[in-house]
Amino acid sequence: MTVQRDTVVKDLAKLHFTGDSNGLIEGFNVMVNQLPTAFWNNFSERMMAMVPESAKAELEADLINCAYECGYHTGYGIITSNEFQSVVTPMVTEGAKDVLRGAYAVFTAWGWAKSGIVQVKEGERMVVRAQDYYEADGAPGSNRAFMIRGVSKAFMELAFAAPYPNGMHTFECAQTQGLESGGPYGEFVVEKK
Amino acid sequence: MKIDFTFDSTNYRHYMDGINSVLHCHHYITLTQKTAHKYAAMGGNKILTESAEDAFRPLFDAGIQKNNLADPASRLAACTEYYSAMGMGLVNMKGDASGGEATLQRSHVDQGWLKKFGPSQLPVNYVTCGFLAAAFAAAHGKPARSYQVTETASIAKGDPESKFSVVCK
Repeated sequence: MTVQRDTVVKDLAKLHFTGDSNGLIEGFNVMVNQLPTAFWNNFSERMMAMVPESAKAELEADLINCAYECGYHTGYGIITSNEFQSVVTPMVTEGAKDVLRGAYAVFTAWGWAKSGIVQVKEGERMVVRAQDYYEADGAPGSNRAFMIRGVSKAFMELAFAAPYPNGMHTFECAQTQGLESGGPYGEFVVEKK
Repeated sequence: MKIDFTFDSTNYRHYMDGINSVLHCHHYITLTQKTAHKYAAMGGNKILTESAEDAFRPLFDAGIQKNNLADPASRLAACTEYYSAMGMGLVNMKGDASGGEATLQRSHVDQGWLKKFGPSQLPVNYVTCGFLAAAFAAAHGKPARSYQVTETASIAKGDPESKFSVVCK
């Protein structure tokens, strides 16, 4: 592996985001917000608690989809950005696999999760582990890292599916371990549909 | 007002005045709003607003304490700064303990919605409703759920500004 996650995270985490004169943050071809993690957790936890059992699977899919589209479009913006080109691209020697590793370093730098890829089979399967992630905050319960699931499948599609924007709905991501459910880490397995 | 942005290099978490924060994009927040709309009959929008109110209040209380802000006007001004620092746009708030009104001249959610979906038939600022409820409550030293906030005009619906009425319950 040639992409040095900690180096990338250290460099990219220095990027400072705050509103411009319009109170807006533009970057990576998207508009960026910076909100308390409690907001995102409150919403997903309260919604899951609110819907009847018969609606939980659909709501879960909806919550994952919110992050999935974010991950796909923002992820594309990230890997084609000047910052990525200057910090990560010089470390890329293994093509798409390294771009994916770089994308996960950015994932970490943005505060989404302290995470890294543990295994990747090009075009087929990827396993990601997260040692710390905000979605695990709060009361223990069942696995609920919907954002990581959505973004993970998006990143896999950016690396190995048809070129953006035509590569969507090619992979799925399951959460197989969770800090929130008492596991040693969060584990996410992305596989081709 | 100086807002302290810090990064924990052990757990790779960002903080804004000591409150854990995270960067996301307009796709995520507009789709989250859309999800709340989908479940509106079950209380989705109410949950979205209350989730925001409960998340923003600790930030406002931290800023008020850090900057020793004693009067409501300076507290509302601090909340206004937070709104922009978070990339949410430009908010103008007026009123007193009984309530007031707010307008958005620039709006991350409205503009993000228009960019992603085009014009909306429904209001899209339930997160900002929660922000305003938290701001007025923090400014006047009241508990959560003290204010009812209603969006009365929306940039996403074609209005020049988004507007909100704020009423103390």
